[in-house]
Amino acid sequence: MTAATLLRQMVRETRGARGRVTFFVLCLAVGVGAVVAVAGFSSSLRATLAREARQLLAADLRVRSLKPVPTAVDELLAEAAAAQGVRSARLTEMVTVSAAPQGTAGAGRSQLVELKAIDGEFPFYGRLELQPARPLSELLAGDGAVAAPELLVRLSLRLGDPIAIGGKLFTLRGTVLAEPDRLGNAFSLGPRLFLSGESLRSTGLVALGSRVTHRLLVKLPDEAAPAAVEAFAGRLRSALPDPAFYRIETSAEGQPELRRGVDRTERFLGLVALLSLVVGGVGVAQTVRAWLASRLDSIAVFKALGARPREILAIYLGQTVLLAALGSLVGVALGMALERLVPRLAGALLPVLPQIEFQPLAVLRGLGLGIGVALLFALPPLLAALAVPAARVLRREIEPLPPSRLALFVTTLALLAGLTAIAGLQARSLAWGAAFAGGLAATAAVLALGARGLIFGVHRLPRLRLPLPLRYGLAALGRPGAPTVASVVALGLGAMVVVGMRTVEHGLTSRLRGDLPTNAPTAFLIDIQPDQWAAVRAEIDRAGATGVDSVPVVMARLAELDGKPVAALAAAREQERTAAARDDDDSDEERGQRGRWALTREQRLTFLERLPADNTLTAGRLWEAPDVDEVSVEEEYARDLGLTVGSKIVFDVQGVPVALTVTSLRKVRWESFAINFFWVVEPGVLDRAPQMRIASVRLPAGGEQRLQDALAATFPNVTVFAIREVLEKVSVVLERIALGVRFLGGFTVLAGLAILAGAVAAGAAQRGREAALGKALGMTRLQVAALFATESAIVGLLAGAIGSIAGTILAAVVLEKGMEIPFQLELAPPLVAIVLAAIFAAAAGLAASARPLQQRPLEALRAS
Amino acid sequence: MNPIPPAIELRQLTKRLPSGDRILTILDAVDLTIAAGEFVAVLGPSGSGKSTLLGLAAGLDRPTSGEVLIDGAPIQNLSEDALALLRRRKIGFVFQSFQLLGNMTALENVLLPLELGGHERPLERARQLLLRVGLGERGHHYPAQLSGGEQQRVALARAFAPRPEILFADEPTGNLDGATGARILDVLDELRADVAATLVLVTHDPSIAERADRRIYLRDGRVERVEGRPSLAPGESPAR
Repeated sequence: MTAATLLRQMVRETRGARGRVTFFVLCLAVGVGAVVAVAGFSSSLRATLAREARQLLAADLRVRSLKPVPTAVDELLAEAAAAQGVRSARLTEMVTVSAAPQGTAGAGRSQLVELKAIDGEFPFYGRLELQPARPLSELLAGDGAVAAPELLVRLSLRLGDPIAIGGKLFTLRGTVLAEPDRLGNAFSLGPRLFLSGESLRSTGLVALGSRVTHRLLVKLPDEAAPAAVEAFAGRLRSALPDPAFYRIETSAEGQPELRRGVDRTERFLGLVALLSLVVGGVGVAQTVRAWLASRLDSIAVFKALGARPREILAIYLGQTVLLAALGSLVGVALGMALERLVPRLAGALLPVLPQIEFQPLAVLRGLGLGIGVALLFALPPLLAALAVPAARVLRREIEPLPPSRLALFVTTLALLAGLTAIAGLQARSLAWGAAFAGGLAATAAVLALGARGLIFGVHRLPRLRLPLPLRYGLAALGRPGAPTVASVVALGLGAMVVVGMRTVEHGLTSRLRGDLPTNAPTAFLIDIQPDQWAAVRAEIDRAGATGVDSVPVVMARLAELDGKPVAALAAAREQERTAAARDDDDSDEERGQRGRWALTREQRLTFLERLPADNTLTAGRLWEAPDVDEVSVEEEYARDLGLTVGSKIVFDVQGVPVALTVTSLRKVRWESFAINFFWVVEPGVLDRAPQMRIASVRLPAGGEQRLQDALAATFPNVTVFAIREVLEKVSVVLERIALGVRFLGGFTVLAGLAILAGAVAAGAAQRGREAALGKALGMTRLQVAALFATESAIVGLLAGAIGSIAGTILAAVVLEKGMEIPFQLELAPPLVAIVLAAIFAAAAGLAASARPLQQRPLEALRAS
Repeated sequence: MNPIPPAIELRQLTKRLPSGDRILTILDAVDLTIAAGEFVAVLGPSGSGKSTLLGLAAGLDRPTSGEVLIDGAPIQNLSEDALALLRRRKIGFVFQSFQLLGNMTALENVLLPLELGGHERPLERARQLLLRVGLGERGHHYPAQLSGGEQQRVALARAFAPRPEILFADEPTGNLDGATGARILDVLDELRADVAATLVLVTHDPSIAERADRRIYLRDGRVERVEGRPSLAPGESPAR
């Protein structure tokens, strides 16, 4: 056969199959759309992060740390400024309290702010949108302040009004509408407030113990090349006395952390999208099988006319590829349209709003995966159809031999291997791919078993006294060769994702939003100076607080672990992390990061005679070693640091070394929300160290804001964190994320519906006969339609039920085992899912039965 | 004028179908009157228009021109649903290929028209009919579990259950062997006698046609000749 004949045969062979072509295309397009939307959007996001790296840093290079930048760096910068014209600026960031002072409209109100104090020019790159449009330094000069508009609203202030911060008054000179370097502001503790560095220092807020982040911004002259930026970063690094405590970011790297975050999200969402494509693949297999079943005569004729099996295979394989390409193209168009919807859906979660651009690689991936999945799923029925004996041209009832067990085994294996490869490609990890394929196969098998059992049971229910449509629908479940199981599994997988996600989300957020444990505090007060405690305590009591708890806190840094300097340990961990990041190994990378964080963070130490009630010792003994200064460590934190009972630690407490020995490990029930520490030191050791107090209080509803307002006037350095408010903010972010996953999961439902519709349409001939017979017996079209709708609705009902049960079980396991959150059965989502699945399925079934419904009865009755 | 209209009256009934670029005339201006209670056999070679005539007379298909009157009322302009209601009230069918619903048991198949017509105590009637056709014990069987003759007996039970005034039978024994076919015809006769239904039966088989009051021979879409006694006088009951 020449290529031209082959092509001609292929086209001829698709005649009269427009309905099937539609379902084939639909099944693939839904999944490919989801895959392309995820890949395309992530690529656009990454591209934007890389391209606008300078704007997002507001500089060529940024040094971030919890310590002020050392003088050695100052010298280097001064030198570079003189020699090369390098410019630099310093930012000091902290969360603190602002208040509307006496004489203003909102006098007495207070509000947490994210304060950013600036020494020098800001920003070097990117757009800082201010109102009025004057340079920031000009607005901040002479005790000026610039705030986000919502702060003005909350404190009832207007431009020109005074605002109190840290016990000092500043003048509001402008508002800030956009900042180049405020990334991922999905979660913030308060509105932005700008002050000059000098202003901040005049408040004394950066007192000992306050949590402050320091940033150094550097701009090299004349759009420096990446190499020059990296070279300067190297000079800075070598000038830092203990570089492990500093994080240097360059525009040349283009936001590596954010991009890796995008990668990781893409990996997860990509697999969710792939699920809908795989479900679509089941639909492809079904369509191909039904199509070939109707072509068995043709295949026999081809064979009788002397066509070789591989030529016949070529015809149908070629058709499959052509159709798959068509379906994938439709999916690509769908995906590209969807990408543009993502910013609306996820706006506040995104670190930056990317420019959506044509992403050729995403399109290629969509096409490749679409065609690949179609081929994988089409191959088993294609190979089976080849077994049609040519003698069928003589005697119709000669059926193709059932495929051998070996062939079935081999094609199943090929399917699993192919799925693993595709999922591995999608997740960029073969292990993930195998887990996905294996997990999916196991879930599908369980769903299929469940579906089979349910169908078996339901089909055998006594139905004689049920109304006709219901009886017909139940009877149809047992239709010989009914694709009910496949439809139930496909639709059930979709329902499982949606219900599972919804249940996990609900478990998480209701935990966050629900009642705090009885006697749990409702707010924390931090940064209380020891001499303020008595007065603050009086204020707390006036606010009607119960269950007040307060402990001293000493800020310190780790200096040595078992004789090894922490700087060296942290550097080693950092190396581990970057190596893991290079190898794309998430778990190692995370371990490295946690380790480094544990080593270099500011450590908060307390000293207590007795452990709080929610602590239990898991190793060692408390305060029983007479000859060493003891410390008790939280067990998981100890694991991150590599500590055990007997480890020797040296802390640097404001420049004074303090040597301690780990004598016990503790388990902490953090969910009690009580004050707890990683480190608890034996009383007596730190009594005279510089310290502050932290307090937890239980206040009547709304009391947190009133307490903050009351404290703001006298103790502006004391910050009140309302636990409920913080949890609420976390909940909102979680809900957004969950919504995105459910949205993608919805595509699996769509693919499932397409399969159901395809299955219904594949039985069109039989359905046409049934419709005709019904009409001949005197049924109206509405009654016939009701029969068909009920039949599909029952399939939807079963799928919804099975998917909901599976999703709920999955969610229960994730919540109980993965997150240690007690699972509570919530009936609404499964019930809604079941009802919706039935309604959607009925609609899909009806849409697919349109033709048999319209047929004249005689045509159908004659054709049989 | 007749006070009692004929059960079926065909006036200049014509059916044409496009075939490629030509128009095929399947039925050509057929006139036929069938009295209530009469048994008419329609004979003719393949393609003579037998089944088309049956389909048109039963309202399963629409004529190109001409009229079909059931009980004196024209039906060719009725809507699909109105036709369905007419069939539900008055008409029963038996097909060559039985046309039982494969998903439903024999009993459920017989129940179907009874429920559609809103008959009282449908279960009782359905069981009774199955008993009449000799399948009283097999109501819970699916069509696939029944032989051809048994399936056709179920079809007969289904057709007669709602006591139709008119029964259309399209080669009811065409798929059965001679002995089974004969038994089916006996059952058909018995059931018809119960309800005094008009019967229009399409067949190739002259021996079956012998049982009819009249035999209409079709050729190329026209009535070639009519055998047997002429249409009954009004009011006269059918002779057996």
